[in-house]
Amino acid sequence: MRSTYRVFAYLIAAGVLVQAATVAYAWFAVIQDIDAGGVFDKNAGANPGHYAHGIVGMAVIPLIALIFLVLSFFARIPRGVTWAGITFGLTALQVALAVVSFSAPLVGALHGLNAVALLAAALVAARRAVEPVPQQPVAA
Amino acid sequence: MAIAAALAVLGPLGWWWRASLMPGTYSVMDMGYPDYGGGSRVDHSTMHHGGTEVTALTGPRDRPADVSVTLVARAERIGLPDGRTVAGYTLNHASPGPQIRARQGQLVEVRLVNESVPDGVTLHWHGYDVPNAEDGVAGVTQDAVAPGDSHVYRFVAKDTGTYWYHSHQVSHEQVRLGLFGALVVDPPTGAPAGVDRLALVHTYGGRRTVDGRPGETRVAAAPGSTVRVRLVNTDQGTIRAWVSGAPYRLVAVDGRDRTAAPPVTAAAIVLPAGGRADVEFAVPDGGGAVRVDVGAATALVVGPEGAAAAVTPEPAASIDLLSYGEPAPIGFDPGRATRRFDYRIGRRFGFLDGRPGLWWTINGRLYPDVPMYMVSAGDVVRMTIANDSGETHPMHLHGHHAVVLSRNGVAATGSPWWTDSLEVADGETYEIAFVADNPGVWVDHCHNLSHAAEGLLAHLAYTGVTTPYRIGGGGHNHPE
Repeated sequence: MRSTYRVFAYLIAAGVLVQAATVAYAWFAVIQDIDAGGVFDKNAGANPGHYAHGIVGMAVIPLIALIFLVLSFFARIPRGVTWAGITFGLTALQVALAVVSFSAPLVGALHGLNAVALLAAALVAARRAVEPVPQQPVAA
Repeated sequence: MAIAAALAVLGPLGWWWRASLMPGTYSVMDMGYPDYGGGSRVDHSTMHHGGTEVTALTGPRDRPADVSVTLVARAERIGLPDGRTVAGYTLNHASPGPQIRARQGQLVEVRLVNESVPDGVTLHWHGYDVPNAEDGVAGVTQDAVAPGDSHVYRFVAKDTGTYWYHSHQVSHEQVRLGLFGALVVDPPTGAPAGVDRLALVHTYGGRRTVDGRPGETRVAAAPGSTVRVRLVNTDQGTIRAWVSGAPYRLVAVDGRDRTAAPPVTAAAIVLPAGGRADVEFAVPDGGGAVRVDVGAATALVVGPEGAAAAVTPEPAASIDLLSYGEPAPIGFDPGRATRRFDYRIGRRFGFLDGRPGLWWTINGRLYPDVPMYMVSAGDVVRMTIANDSGETHPMHLHGHHAVVLSRNGVAATGSPWWTDSLEVADGETYEIAFVADNPGVWVDHCHNLSHAAEGLLAHLAYTGVTTPYRIGGGGHNHPE
């Protein structure tokens, strides 16, 4: 259970990296399309980068964060539930910031910064799972 | 303890997810909840007659048509003049499909044949207030026309103006990929004098086109002649159009004339998805041309052969239809409304048929738990459309034209703003009014058709009218 907890924490951290990569790719692809005479508008829809960012951000990471939170109840890691809870909470905040950013694009800056916080929380959680179990006193 | 905590987290989520699952087939009549808007819950006319099926609400079937057209729908590649081809759909081997042109009062008959569109097709007469059975919405007013089948539409061309038709089956794909064309109705005396030019704007595979042509398209017109350009936005998003080289007047919007439309020089026309704008101008006597831009360097250049048009940059200002033109009677009194509805658009995280995501809400609820706006024939209806969803929504009510009363609390002061495709930007609130004078079951949705597919679709139903058609199921009807 401890190693599963660790794997899920790393999966969320990896998810954050995927999100940074996909959204950067998405907008560079748009810039190149426009250079080639393309039109980026409501018809264009999502390019593969946007599409991946949406699916990973709206479905994959929230699902992993949810499983991670539930796992933490069973994993018996010191402060494991706390860090899983923080990770889950930052994931929810990340989705909420995305929602608000469509109306207020400057909030999108916080969406970018919160991603770093989420990455850090997931890594801290993962480290808690690798710390050795404190030695139990040997029964006499 | 851990199990209890897990159940506390997963239980509500699982219930939430399960509650969002939709049956494989359902009737729009069973969808969501009825909203009577403060009006009567029963239709007194049906208490004696036992109700009406949509199938009975057809156009005239008992006399020969004045205009008869056959449209054959096919899945095939569309060739663009720049040499590229894009996968799509055609009508009579073309996209846009043939222009259907009639005179006011004529009976129009269109036979739609589906040769090879796998998902099935329909034709909806966008902005044309046809009888309900001719409205062409798969699963609401008919079954999608399967490959090898055909369907006949018949309606009287009672209104003049610029309209268009498009498939209303899997429409977010089929319209984008080419299943559409123009419908223009002239006065009984025929087209007005001068140059009359249709301009269907569509973006194919990331290239904006007018009538299927990217870049500049030349239109021959003698110096001094009057030109009417009928702009139609067949895309998913708003376009801005502007005119260089001559002042212009915006003489009609959504098929309805604007009274006393003043000349405009440095303002663009905002054309919502699905909307139309008729622009009129005179070609200069000096030998120059007039350029009508629709964005992305795509434009009509109207004038004598070889004449150059000045290319002015896109103006920052745009015509505000709330105050453009002079007031005129609208034919009914919105102050005597018998139904009042709210159509509040939002967005939140949730499950749509089991899929997690950010989805559109109507009055706070996700599709299909959306209002069914109930009216009776003769009702005067006021509807408040508010958008707090973060994105713009071009709202399209079938079967009726509504007049805009106010925007963000500011009353309309210009020429009556009749519309069937109303851009409601993020943060805006419009109040509209219309007379319920066309019985049936009418969808009322966002014409960013991808948004409709994401649940931004409700409907207006007349008490006593029912539909035998179903979404999903054996008819494979997917109107969005």
